[in-house]
Amino acid sequence: MQVDIHAPYKDRVQQALGDPNLRVAVSKATDRMSNARRASMDAIEGQQLRSQVRKMKEHVLSNWPDYLEQLESNLTRNGCTVHWAEGVEDAQAIVKDVALQNSANLVVKSKSMATEEIHLNHALEEAGLRVVETDLGEYIIQLADEPPSHIVAPVIHKRLEEIAEVFQDKLDMPPTREPTKMTSLARAKLRQEFFAAGMGVSGCNFAIAETGTICIVTNEGNGRMVSSMPRVYVVVMGIEKLVPTVEDAYLQLQALCRSATGQQLTVYCSMTSGPRQEGDVDGPEQVHVVLLDNGRSRMLARGYGEALLCIRCGACLNACPVYQEIGGHAYGGTYNGPIGAVTSPALAPEIAQFKELPHATSLCGACREACPVKIDLPRLLLDLRSDLVQQGASPKPEAWGIKSYASLMSSRRMYENLGKMASIGSNLYAGMSGGNIKLLPPPLNGWTAYRDFAPFAPKSFRDWWRDRKKLRRQA
Amino acid sequence: MHKATFEQRPKRVALFVTCMVDMLYPGVGIAACELLEKNDIEVIFPEEQTCCGQPAFNAGYRDEARKLARRFLSIFGPLVESGEVDAIVSPSGSCVTMTSHFFEAIFEESQETELSHQAERLASVTFELTEFLVDVLGLVSTGAQLQGKATYHPCCHLYRELGVDEQPRKLLDGVEGLEVVDLPHGDDCCGFGGLFAIKNSGISAAMGRAKARYAEQSGADAIALCDVSCMTHINGILSREGVSCRAHHIAEILNNHLGSTLRPPSQPAPAQADHPRRWGE
Amino acid sequence: MSVRNTVLARLRETLRQPHLPFPPAQSEPLTHAERMTVTHAPGDIWAQAQRFALELHAVKGSCELLETVTEARLSVVSRLQLWLEEEQAARKTVDAERPEDWEVLCWPLDQLQIEGLPLILKEVGFKLIEPTDLHDPQQRDHIRNVRAGITTVEAAFASTGSFVVGGRGANARAASLTPFRHLVVIPFSRLFATGEDWLAEMRHAGKLDAYVRDSRNLSIITGPSKSADLEGNLTMGVHGPKVVHAILFDDLQH
Repeated sequence: MQVDIHAPYKDRVQQALGDPNLRVAVSKATDRMSNARRASMDAIEGQQLRSQVRKMKEHVLSNWPDYLEQLESNLTRNGCTVHWAEGVEDAQAIVKDVALQNSANLVVKSKSMATEEIHLNHALEEAGLRVVETDLGEYIIQLADEPPSHIVAPVIHKRLEEIAEVFQDKLDMPPTREPTKMTSLARAKLRQEFFAAGMGVSGCNFAIAETGTICIVTNEGNGRMVSSMPRVYVVVMGIEKLVPTVEDAYLQLQALCRSATGQQLTVYCSMTSGPRQEGDVDGPEQVHVVLLDNGRSRMLARGYGEALLCIRCGACLNACPVYQEIGGHAYGGTYNGPIGAVTSPALAPEIAQFKELPHATSLCGACREACPVKIDLPRLLLDLRSDLVQQGASPKPEAWGIKSYASLMSSRRMYENLGKMASIGSNLYAGMSGGNIKLLPPPLNGWTAYRDFAPFAPKSFRDWWRDRKKLRRQA
Repeated sequence: MHKATFEQRPKRVALFVTCMVDMLYPGVGIAACELLEKNDIEVIFPEEQTCCGQPAFNAGYRDEARKLARRFLSIFGPLVESGEVDAIVSPSGSCVTMTSHFFEAIFEESQETELSHQAERLASVTFELTEFLVDVLGLVSTGAQLQGKATYHPCCHLYRELGVDEQPRKLLDGVEGLEVVDLPHGDDCCGFGGLFAIKNSGISAAMGRAKARYAEQSGADAIALCDVSCMTHINGILSREGVSCRAHHIAEILNNHLGSTLRPPSQPAPAQADHPRRWGE
Repeated sequence: MSVRNTVLARLRETLRQPHLPFPPAQSEPLTHAERMTVTHAPGDIWAQAQRFALELHAVKGSCELLETVTEARLSVVSRLQLWLEEEQAARKTVDAERPEDWEVLCWPLDQLQIEGLPLILKEVGFKLIEPTDLHDPQQRDHIRNVRAGITTVEAAFASTGSFVVGGRGANARAASLTPFRHLVVIPFSRLFATGEDWLAEMRHAGKLDAYVRDSRNLSIITGPSKSADLEGNLTMGVHGPKVVHAILFDDLQH
């Protein structure tokens, strides 16, 4: 069963949990990436690297507008055109206009979360353009008409046979499950597109403010292709993706690669500082950089600025036991996993638009442990829960329940009476069903749907304590 | 977090037993109390204590959490500040995390500086049970004996928030006769997560079943852990899934509450007057 | 107000808020002095060359280390010949020899650091393609089926087995990108222990900023193109070269 990203949260989760392929594919891949990350961070002074990248990024965000201006002025000086976009609509319009002005009918894209955020493919297709995703995983999900389910491994949720089916269906591939054959086919198909495309689009892993340089990181080489082959190259970057210097970029690059896939460096880090110059053999004639806010400044103002440190490595997804069970689509937003559970609501016009996500976590902290910039994701998720409560977005019975609980627990007498009542009631009930409670009334039926519950103790600890005290006094 | 170092061995501690242990698992509280007393620590049980407020905090209800946090501080604060007790000890990594990490934060948030400072001072003398036994008392073994095979599950708050991991493992290794085996994917969360287990019960249970599979793979008869909340969840899953091993709070293992041999749960346990209940019997 | 000014003003205003939980009010930049070097490659130039080979091998590239430029020259030729044979053997139908088999996409040969290389390559029969403008449809079409590319490097890093290619002037980016096989020539004089060392040297010489800017495109390359998108199966040569072979030679002798 496929997860319908437009379905309500509960349905998406049910669909994800009901898909056995998903769990196998996702947990296999996330385990592999997590182990690789751990080994690669252990091989170096990993803690120091994390602290330093965090420090560098904190400094950038403290001086955010200044660095943005520096980047803008250097990009402009290098011959790039800089555009600013507030949100989805104006960002779409900017890219669309660039394409139409250059009569680029075919657009090749390198995997980018920022363009997912603004639903760029959809907008360009509506304008009559053909858009081709060129990252192998992204190409597969584009053929399958699905959004990515992981920040760095978009097709993580599919097993090989499912991918083979897509290729047979959409590319008339003869039946095979040979990964090398499937890759060759994709290479040949996409090579045609690279040579024919009038415009290339990518995101930006980080931009160097001091030089006006856009860096994109890939293993396949599609990032280099889209930034080198077409006449026009458009970069859509979130405004937080800044580093001050070239050295900072190299530091962050290594933290990114190690945290994402456990590589020392990815195969390609492509750094573009502007359009081709007189006498250059290749490279784009125009470079456009779209600086996209789309809720980022709001995120800072709402108090979730720490999540803007994110370098989009996906380590928190790989480490997350919830993500392992449900994959990415169940989260329902552009970003998924623990960082998505923070980013989706924090970026949205209203936090409550994603009110389920801050609760889609056991707050185990594995994400924070994996994060290369040590974002305190559990803490941010707790803060989001609190904001939801303050906005009155939590269910009324829950609010009533918590308030009653807090009152009961504020009085020793009520607490002790509650204990006695629960003990008598639960033991009676458990006695009828053979020792363990198999069914509880709502909302606790959520518990007993999957687990048994043992009754309260007939005698509490404090009973024992008092009895003992009495005995000792008598003795 | 800054932890106090004791120039002299502490003499008296306040037991923060936690509401779950009090009402659901008194045996754990008794074991904790006896373990401390065996090591010449006088235990005080402030009977006014109820719940630390974690469920409210976890669900996002900060005002309610602060209400209970204030209450907690008013009970335990004077004991520590008057020097009546040297430390606060609790058989729960999760509740210690609440009182020693989150109290400070929620009072900072409400700009109640006095309370936030008080919480910070209390945090420096608040210990999870095994942390206290090993780090403060210098224990390597509690002298317990138990035949059988056990594994250890590091509960998330204890492991990741408090950074307590070596201590319980060390004490478990010190149990005579007990073979401690590795739990595959041991540091994966069991899926409890408080309200998460109800709100997202499907996901929570799927995580619990993964834990159950790995527990089965480990070949252990028992899973030792330091939080009864995770224990309740894991045992609820194991019981429902028909997996034979069971989770036990480490205090009961360390204080010889489980008899001399870890038995398969299919065999009924002999009734014990003082430790009235076990899971799934 | 323009979007630009609105965004910048909003950020400035937010950052002025006294109780903003993040970022911290005092936040120093990471200084050059404190910034760590992530990986290390100790030892003399030969030890570094060996480390480079080891690291490149680990990412499925291959490498040879040579003592003189003469050996390097011969190695380039024999490597291209070997590849030619492999290409022809791999082709199922034994059709007439394809002229493009002998074509090599390359940077201007005076850039390749190996004296006399053009002559010997031409003697053996290779045809060197040096495009001048790849937006010209004819030239673009021409490189489509070229199976091998030769470039040298701006710098190479021993500790990670990486090298940097720049796309300046006549140095086509395509030479290290579109062919199936990439032969990369690395004189020891361009080998650095680490990327950080190279950057430090450039920074110290006061060239880094202008260099990065003027290069318009720099690519740090670490091994052949690959993907694990097919359920974790590693496949090579997805878009870039499937084969990356480095020839390192000692040009520091005299």
